[in-house]
Amino acid sequence: MKYIDELKNISENPRAAFEGAIASGKKVVGVMPYFCPEELVYAAGMLPFGLWGAAIQANDSKRYFPAFICSILHTTLEMGIKGQLDDLSAIMIPICCDSLKGMGANWEYGVGNKVPVINVAYAQNRKIEAGVGFTASQFRKIRKQLEEIAGNEITDDALAKAVTVYNENRDAILCFSKAAATHPKEISAQTRSAVLKAGYFMDRAKHTEMLREITEELSALPASDEGYLKIVTTGILADMLGFLELIDKNNMVIADDQIAQESVGARTQTPVTEDPILGMAQRLSDIEGCSVLYDLGKFRGKQLVSLAQEAGAAGILFVLTKFCDPEEYDYVPVKRMTDAAGIPMLQVEIDQQMKNFAQAESALQAFAEMLRER
Amino acid sequence: MSEATEKKPAKVVLKELQDKIADDAWEAKKRGEKVGWCASNFPQEITTAMGIPVVYPENMGAAVGAKGGGQRMCEYAEGMGYSGDLCSYSRINFAYADLKKCEELEIPFPDFLLCCNNICNCMIKWYENLALELDIPLILIDIPHLDQYECDEDRIKYIRAQFDDAIRQLEEITGKKMDYDKLKSVMEVSQRSSQAWLRAVGYMSAKPSPFSGFDIFNNMAVACVGRGTVEAAEAFEQLADEYEALVAEGKSTFKGDENYRILFEGIACWANLRFTYKTLQSRGINLTASVYGPAFSFLYSNLDELMAAYSYVPNSNCFERELELRVVDAKKNKVDGAIFHMNRSCKHWSGNLYEMERQFREQTGVPTIVFDGDQSDPRAFSEAQYETRVEALVEIMEENKRKEAQA
Amino acid sequence: MADIYTMGIDIGSSASKCLILKNGTEIAGSAVIAAGTGTSGPRRAQEEALAAAGISMKDIRRSTATGYGRNTVEGVDAVVSELSCHAIGIHAVFPDVRTLIDIGGQDAKVIRVSENGRLDSFVMNDKCAAGTGRFLDVMARVLELDVSELEEKSAKAKNVVNISSTCTVFAESEVISQLSNNVDICDLVAGIHRSVAVRTAGLVRRLGVVEPVAMSGGVALNGGVVSALEEELGLTIKVSPLAQLNGAYGAAVHAWGQLEKETL
Repeated sequence: MKYIDELKNISENPRAAFEGAIASGKKVVGVMPYFCPEELVYAAGMLPFGLWGAAIQANDSKRYFPAFICSILHTTLEMGIKGQLDDLSAIMIPICCDSLKGMGANWEYGVGNKVPVINVAYAQNRKIEAGVGFTASQFRKIRKQLEEIAGNEITDDALAKAVTVYNENRDAILCFSKAAATHPKEISAQTRSAVLKAGYFMDRAKHTEMLREITEELSALPASDEGYLKIVTTGILADMLGFLELIDKNNMVIADDQIAQESVGARTQTPVTEDPILGMAQRLSDIEGCSVLYDLGKFRGKQLVSLAQEAGAAGILFVLTKFCDPEEYDYVPVKRMTDAAGIPMLQVEIDQQMKNFAQAESALQAFAEMLRER
Repeated sequence: MSEATEKKPAKVVLKELQDKIADDAWEAKKRGEKVGWCASNFPQEITTAMGIPVVYPENMGAAVGAKGGGQRMCEYAEGMGYSGDLCSYSRINFAYADLKKCEELEIPFPDFLLCCNNICNCMIKWYENLALELDIPLILIDIPHLDQYECDEDRIKYIRAQFDDAIRQLEEITGKKMDYDKLKSVMEVSQRSSQAWLRAVGYMSAKPSPFSGFDIFNNMAVACVGRGTVEAAEAFEQLADEYEALVAEGKSTFKGDENYRILFEGIACWANLRFTYKTLQSRGINLTASVYGPAFSFLYSNLDELMAAYSYVPNSNCFERELELRVVDAKKNKVDGAIFHMNRSCKHWSGNLYEMERQFREQTGVPTIVFDGDQSDPRAFSEAQYETRVEALVEIMEENKRKEAQA
Repeated sequence: MADIYTMGIDIGSSASKCLILKNGTEIAGSAVIAAGTGTSGPRRAQEEALAAAGISMKDIRRSTATGYGRNTVEGVDAVVSELSCHAIGIHAVFPDVRTLIDIGGQDAKVIRVSENGRLDSFVMNDKCAAGTGRFLDVMARVLELDVSELEEKSAKAKNVVNISSTCTVFAESEVISQLSNNVDICDLVAGIHRSVAVRTAGLVRRLGVVEPVAMSGGVALNGGVVSALEEELGLTIKVSPLAQLNGAYGAAVHAWGQLEKETL
């Protein structure tokens, strides 16, 4: 299928995309999870580059973070210390979880000021007007910092355009995900993940174009999901190859996801407002389904149940990123909600440095056997 | 001075005050008043001024840990599905919320929750779950982590709006009205307490320090949550006076000679308090510096400054400000070494601890050690590891003293 | 009519188990070899079980492999997760059991078995080795005991020592320091058993306790752990006489079931 190999390549080798952008004279800004105002980077004419860790061994990072911090932070810091990210013009670090609060200083002292840190603070009390106002104030501050780094102004026009590019990409992600749900033969879990992940390393407009093309091709094909077990995933990320292989091996298809790296952000568009910054701040107030954002009433659990029901899923995989405390807190009430709805949910604890998936393999196979028996 | 000698020691008064806060809450609950569970660094000015009784799950977590119930309660929470990686205070609290009993200590059940994340974001997740489990309202004051040295206008505006919003919601929930004159006087009394607290902990710079530094872990509870009352202000003034008198006489409540002075970084290991204390005390090591000293002062002269003060609590600051707090305190209080607690429960406090230790060592020139432990779960602490590392620290401090004497 | 044989092979991390079933009910032969996946264990277990049954491989009509090394066994007809096999196995032994606790070398799992003997739900231990057979191995080594001696020692305990550390490394130093304080070794062993029991009880509660409860796996052979767990959970635990062979038994029953389905 057109573009699939290209997206797979990008996702499996982000370094090439990174070096390619640098070689073309483009400035690149690193963007850590979660929900940074990427549109500002895009509007400044720079490439926002997602930093979600890597499947590498963390060694030097252990001088800074204790072992009980998630591998996203460990391995991102590791790449920084090793000098692999020196060509970044800046790195955006949000402070929405306790581990991330320590990332800025560890980066500053571990990597040095060759890659300056842009702290991203946004309101947790995000449903009130003052919260949206605070987030907007921080985005304005970041806008100035980025203008300095880019060496040019970020005009409202450029920003409005960036908002449109990102909104279209969000829509394209959801459409692709929906099409992939009925075409597991063409789009395996591994492919699905690669196609979505590639967006973090490339021009979003280009990503949209490719997603649309793939989605169109898929829609023209008959569904290929017969005999597949429909599941919904939830968590921070689910891109480890060893894990995705297990989903494919057990003939499971991801019917929908509530994964921060995949569809969570895509579900919420930036409202088009006269001052684009306000719309972006409003989006932070509107996003649901992620443990790092204040969630009174645990709407996440309710959303998860309805995603599973709408997708006709047989079960849910709670993909727990090892040492992610917001996820570990959410697990208990979310499990209670899915239990109440009668949808089986399995917790699988994984991280990017994991080499041995034996336990996950047993658990996933048993889960599949169990669901098929029902 | 006959009047002073008849008085109960300030330490006792402070303990009684802490008990009184809990007793008042029980009484209020019995009268049918609404009682809250409150985050330790939620602006106490609001509840004190409105006369709303609140209790503190974090304090309960510490007390249950100290009384030996931490492991049992944590294990219970793990049986509920909570990961053993989570904050042990929160695990103890989840267990209590579910069991509705705890042999070490109980607090009245809440009608509402007051959350503030200036100390950590895990407070938010913890209280979100409580609100759901207990089906009661939750009021959050979000104080964003400081990514710069000073708290700015944007933050103050945001915190202020939430402060006002919290009052409005509390008025609705409890039926009590905020009296703004009362708020003003609570703010004034809080300042009196804070000044007295600063004066009291300031005497740690004396040689010998007039008191055993582990006392800070007990006294800070009231300094933190009860400082808005006249009784607390008076008790802290009394405490400062007592220390002043001891310094004048060259005496100390620390048992034995103060051979070495150290900074202890982090929350106490409540479940292993005796061991961690004895290991130091038996070697003549007194704690003379802790971030709890200077950082729990909350100095302000108006409402806007109050908002800013709550973003300067330990761990809410940028790294440079956090480091400076420790270094200044350590230098002023003439420490010979420092012990850093890598707290398994506290990702926030632990995330920069290695770097903090290195820079602290460079800037103060004193030896440091890091040990693994936990605030209330004894399973993450190893006596052997702690003791070995403390011994190593003593050897270096000894050698430094010898060299100093030679020079 | 000739007898029909099915085989269940359970390849674990530290042991290989094989069980041969005659006509779906009778155990014709079995073997437990203390060498797991990637060793000669799987082959030896099959050979020994066949020898015990007095038959050869060509007599086996159906075979099912399970356990961590299940995907490495050649020539089997089906590969099923050990969780499903454990559920099938325990149901065949104790049809009324609703909760099975299986503690093996590398992991601990708690399994809810439905009334018709199917896997209903399950939980497994998290990243740390505490509460598994590995933990007991390490502790036995520190005490210079063989794992098989632990039960006898703990039965003689008078004052059970509290081992608080969950981290294996920390627990090791805790045990060593207790030893140097001349604490009675029996009291220490009982403390180690209780530590495993507490950890396991947490897993059981996570799934929810539904009685009757049974236990299988290598650690089930240690009555000290079983009684500590009974005390911790406040209930009686049925110990599968098949212990380590429960998974292999379940696999052999599964193979029989496949055969029946086919001939129906």
